[in-house]
Amino acid sequence: MSEKKVTIFIDDVPYQLSTEDNLLAGVLSKKLNLPYFCWHPSMGSVGACRQCAVTQFQDEADQRGRIVMACITPVTDGMRISIKDKAASEFREQVIAAMMTNHPHDCPVCAEGGECHLQDMTVMTGHSVREYQGTKRTFNNQYLGELVGHEMNRCITCYRCTRFYNDYAGGKDFGVYGSKNQVYFGRQSEGDLESEFSGNLVEVCPTGVFTNKIFSSHYTRKWDLQSAPSVCSHCSVGCNLSIGERYGSVRRVMNRYNGDINGYFICDRGRFGIGFVNGEQRIRQAKGIAQQSPVTLTKLDVAKAFSHFRKKQFIGIGSARASLEANFYLKNMVGAEQFSPGYNDQEMKVAAQHTQLLESIKAPSLADIENSDFIFVIAEDISQTAPRMALSVRQALRNAANDKAAKIGIPSWQDSAVRTIGGKLLSPLFSLQSTTTKLDDVSEKALLLPIEQITKCLATFENLLRLGNVQSINNDKAVEDAIADLVEQDQLSVAEQSFIASIYKGLRKANKPLFISGTSSVCAEILSNIANIMSAFKPQNEIVAPELIIVPPCSNSVGLLSILDEHSLSIEQVLMQLNDPDKSYQGLILLEQELEKLSANQITQLRKSAKTLIVLDHSAHRLSSIADIVLPVAAVTEGDGHYVNYQGRAQQFVQVHAPVVPIQESWRWLDNIGDIVGIKVPKTSTEASGLNPCQSVQVVAKNNDCESLTQLHQFFTDTYAQWPMLIAKKSIEPQQKSIARMSHRASGRTAQMANITVHEAKTTQKLDDDFTFSMEGKSAGQSSDMPFAWAPGWNSNQAIAQFQTEINGQLLKQKEAVFIPISTKITNNLSWRLTENSKESSANNLAANLLTYVHQKHVYFSEWQASLTPEFQMQRQSNQIFINAEAAQQAGVKKGQWCKVIFSATNEKMHLASQSVISQVFIVNHLPFSLAFGNFALCQPLTQLVEMSVSLACDQEVTDYLAHFNDGLIAAKQSKKNILERLKIIDQTIPIRLFSGGLNDG
Amino acid sequence: MAESISNNNIKPLTQWVNLQQPLSFDAYCQAGGYQGAKVALEHSPNDVLDIVKNSGLKGRGGAGFPTGMKWSFVPMFEDGDENAPDNKYLVANADEMEPGTFKDRLLLEGAPHQLVEAMIIAAYTIGANKGYIFLRGEYHLAAKRLQQAIDEAYQNNWLGEKIQGSSYTMDLYVHCSAGRYICGEETALINALEGKRATPRAKPPFPQVSGLFGKPTIVNNVETLCNLPHILKNGIEWFQAIAPNSDAGSKIYGACGRVKKPGLWELPMGPTLREVLYDYAGGMQEGLQFRGLLPGGASTDFLVEEHLDTPMDFDSIAKVGSRLGTGGLIVLDDKNCPVGMVLNLMRFFAQESCGWCTPCRDGTPWAVEVLNRIEQGQGKIQDLDTLAKLCDFMWIGKTHCALAPGAVEPLRSALKYFHDDFLQHIEHGCCHYNLSMTPKRMKVSQASISPLSVKAGQ
Repeated sequence: MSEKKVTIFIDDVPYQLSTEDNLLAGVLSKKLNLPYFCWHPSMGSVGACRQCAVTQFQDEADQRGRIVMACITPVTDGMRISIKDKAASEFREQVIAAMMTNHPHDCPVCAEGGECHLQDMTVMTGHSVREYQGTKRTFNNQYLGELVGHEMNRCITCYRCTRFYNDYAGGKDFGVYGSKNQVYFGRQSEGDLESEFSGNLVEVCPTGVFTNKIFSSHYTRKWDLQSAPSVCSHCSVGCNLSIGERYGSVRRVMNRYNGDINGYFICDRGRFGIGFVNGEQRIRQAKGIAQQSPVTLTKLDVAKAFSHFRKKQFIGIGSARASLEANFYLKNMVGAEQFSPGYNDQEMKVAAQHTQLLESIKAPSLADIENSDFIFVIAEDISQTAPRMALSVRQALRNAANDKAAKIGIPSWQDSAVRTIGGKLLSPLFSLQSTTTKLDDVSEKALLLPIEQITKCLATFENLLRLGNVQSINNDKAVEDAIADLVEQDQLSVAEQSFIASIYKGLRKANKPLFISGTSSVCAEILSNIANIMSAFKPQNEIVAPELIIVPPCSNSVGLLSILDEHSLSIEQVLMQLNDPDKSYQGLILLEQELEKLSANQITQLRKSAKTLIVLDHSAHRLSSIADIVLPVAAVTEGDGHYVNYQGRAQQFVQVHAPVVPIQESWRWLDNIGDIVGIKVPKTSTEASGLNPCQSVQVVAKNNDCESLTQLHQFFTDTYAQWPMLIAKKSIEPQQKSIARMSHRASGRTAQMANITVHEAKTTQKLDDDFTFSMEGKSAGQSSDMPFAWAPGWNSNQAIAQFQTEINGQLLKQKEAVFIPISTKITNNLSWRLTENSKESSANNLAANLLTYVHQKHVYFSEWQASLTPEFQMQRQSNQIFINAEAAQQAGVKKGQWCKVIFSATNEKMHLASQSVISQVFIVNHLPFSLAFGNFALCQPLTQLVEMSVSLACDQEVTDYLAHFNDGLIAAKQSKKNILERLKIIDQTIPIRLFSGGLNDG
Repeated sequence: MAESISNNNIKPLTQWVNLQQPLSFDAYCQAGGYQGAKVALEHSPNDVLDIVKNSGLKGRGGAGFPTGMKWSFVPMFEDGDENAPDNKYLVANADEMEPGTFKDRLLLEGAPHQLVEAMIIAAYTIGANKGYIFLRGEYHLAAKRLQQAIDEAYQNNWLGEKIQGSSYTMDLYVHCSAGRYICGEETALINALEGKRATPRAKPPFPQVSGLFGKPTIVNNVETLCNLPHILKNGIEWFQAIAPNSDAGSKIYGACGRVKKPGLWELPMGPTLREVLYDYAGGMQEGLQFRGLLPGGASTDFLVEEHLDTPMDFDSIAKVGSRLGTGGLIVLDDKNCPVGMVLNLMRFFAQESCGWCTPCRDGTPWAVEVLNRIEQGQGKIQDLDTLAKLCDFMWIGKTHCALAPGAVEPLRSALKYFHDDFLQHIEHGCCHYNLSMTPKRMKVSQASISPLSVKAGQ
């Protein structure tokens, strides 16, 4: 984007502003106060609220000027405007006065109070006396689900909610109703909001119409929250969050601006999925460690409990939801040969392919995605597995309309104008999936195929590309001819052919193409095919090589990948090793790993084989209940660490609040254990050179505990050459004052525990902390990682404009993003390479008359931690299965009918496994006969390939199922109630921790 | 209505109007219909555009924008141009909802073929292959008659493929509105036609460039369009000669209120207000005196006695501080309360606000609230300041479209010309036009308990 700066005069003071954005954005980027409602930095201008009026003068001589709306006025060279001008400022005040004719006076009970954009703007305009004497209009509110509250009387009709929900995020179940001053924003009828982005309404709404229901149920004012910069732990995008807590319980998650990643929006999983931190299933006490003191667990207790494991060999299973530090620590504690990421064989193959792709191709950020003009999504439902990415993809599709508008001189920030010009015009999006996705409505072509067939299509597409390198395929006809030649070998259907041809044609016109795939399908062939496709793009070819994103499932999947090597074990290998009589393992350490994919049999087997089972986790699961030792681990809000996102970007999450001991970060536990069990460190480099890495390590007992993340990093850096530099040494930097976690309006720490003691409690101290547990310290905006957004006069999250270099730009204090190197050493292990055999076997499977069942991903439930949130459980849907029309006809079932679906399969050992599911059936027209998908998972050992029979369910079966299903809903509701009751009790009793670190020495 | 058309000989627009039974296709052709369209099809679109431009035809919807100029903003493309849109559209704005205005109804119900012919000419000129008649929902009879005319035109190859052997193809549809005043605003109309909320669009882009479904679109008033067949048939000179001293052509004027003969009259452009009021509408009813009038529908400023000699053309009316609008007079007499009249109008505008921009959405109901209190005798003297402030608040440039400034026009002029009425309402605490009300605020001498005299406001 060619940035052009011009001089304009605001109240006779010259400013340099960019001509790329509108006048309001320019004014705000100069940190001048100009109120607004309907404009949004990322959604552009529509000129509805008329709040940002300024006076524009024709020239120096013009004294009268005319009122213009800054948000719909372009910045032009030499323009003269006045914000202070009487006519304009009176008009702005009058606009607020007009809005206030209907806005209720319920600020004391409004969840938005204290961070209300409407309050801020009212004060900013100076409106303070009410002249309107009439009655106010009233509305009925709607039940919009468990996440977002609705209070329509507060609405000032800025239209931001519908512009976000419908226009920006593509929601279908929300809208504007009525007219005149009776405009209603809501659903056609009450019900759960269906969009994955509904929570953003809370931040988008300038006042309290849409509120965070979970926050409201255990409410505190924004200024009493203690917040810290965090990173979302629910998917691999790595959205930046500001998490707020009070009295030791997490209250809410807000978006934290990061121009490269999430910008102003996050998904509902990120916003509401934090419930697991306060959840009932949390592990709060250590198990299997004798505690000396009745009060607290000490390091001595731990040392004693582990003393008989001194220098014993464990197998460690890391996890993609544990921090980079913890995984790295575990690997070096048990040794590379005994470390497993908890992946099965198939997943290890995927991981091997994934590391290769990560090493060779740098994945674009979300901001880059929004510049793409061609997107091809392959076998990954990003709308559910990485929703924020899907939102960016939606924005990229608007580039075609932006270009069309630019041609007639309409800039992209003129939102409504661009939408008028664009109509239904979208940049091309192609989607090749096994399930329907929420992006289908905006895709040019969406094809549903079983995964094997997808790999075939990709192979054909690669061949087409390679053909294009040799002979020129320079028109649409040539593409079709070339395809026709190729498919003779590959046997593709007409739909598949035309799909591939369309992609090729689309790519020829694209300047910034992007391919997105993922690992949900656990199919290494797909990634290998994509790698081949990427290598088929030749620089001399007329087609621009696309950028590539591979979406892994978890917040730290890529971090985990980065420490894998040729020795890393798959879960099958772990089981084998444990049973190997030649190797005498002391046991198994599970680091934040629930091993979700293991069948009950495998779990039993695992338990039997492991002499000692040590589980480090924050929430209870199948393995924690059968473990010998359970160590309670800090959840993301309770500790420090790093996650690595899908690009390889390492981001630190900062402790929001000190957990109650013995809960501490995994790496602290490992550090405590490491003292006793011993850790493996490389021998000095001169000794090690030329040796096999196995021989180059020695086991040492680590003597000094790492008291802080900084110390841990220092230890890693000093000991391990491969540890990436993520935190600069503290001693190098001049001693800087830390940033306050609390707002400086926090209701006084003297009052915090007044019901327990009138003595003023000292604030919690923490070593090497960049943030203080206090309202003292530097203000939030002084940090690159702002705990919360606040500026004088700007109490809402909209304050962020005060801390950006320009609107939608970088933060003023932005620090350089850190990308960690990805090692491809895992590919040296031949077991994880793809062989021709594996391809054939998949082909054989297809030949057998089997059907592929795919478990459709869901934003609430496809990530384990988030799925524990009771509010999500309360919105769970009953079973649905989607089948082909022909199959439905054969089975004699119709859309919406309750059916009994029986899945069966024979595994290698010829055991017949079968599962019967009561489900509602839905028909998808373009679904192949050999593919079905649904919202329920098949039990192990049933794999994707099954035989399926569908028949109408009898009434009794349906009644039983629904009763069971409703029990689940009621249990979730009860769980929500219990949590709330417990939290409200804790509010009264939680002691302030004087020191936030690990366990005491004892 | 039609009976009251004057003796004036040149009345091209209404010459074929028959409200009882509109002319069938054959009768219409016999009377000289479809000759204008024939002339148009013989010329190139560019030539027709020049004719319309040079004729001096101005839009009859209220704004008075030169029609040819409006059309010339539509991008024209050579055959096979890659950038050419797949379609352009012509829309007839028949959503006649301006209070006091019923001129289009006459043309729609009385001479539907005339509009069909006109739309063929206009669509041909701008290169549109699809036309819509956006019809006010309540005009059921018009809908029926228009559809009949369209069917006949299809049967006789005046619509459909290759019209009359030319290479030009056109389809024409009647779209019955769901009924909102704001649909008279062309971009709100387009949104409504697309099935969206009837909210005016941001401009630019103007509909000529990006209108219906994002394609170049022209929206013209029914009366404007109906001039076209006659201009094409009779030529520019003829058209301009109709009203030599004013804007070109003839116009349908109307009057309602307590006049002797409310109705519609097609007259050469530029009769004086007095002529229309007294010569055609027959003056005030017995026992009533003239106080003021809105010259062109509800959204125009009041004019009073002193303005009655102003010619009713776009510029002259503008000079005295009002707008010609639709040319339909709403006449206020001395037995009706001006405050009540303004309140009634303001209620209408508050009801019809689309709800998009704050000044209109929340300003018009606020004005209603204040006016209502004054009318009920509960006003305060500060309310007049509030009203003045609201007039400024909703004025041109501060709102998204022209609805709110239009709503303000009768109010601000009433505050000027009938200021004493407002004061009397406030001071006496009652409305003297409403005989059931008694003064509340203070003792009022018997003499003053009567409506103000005709000249009181001036």
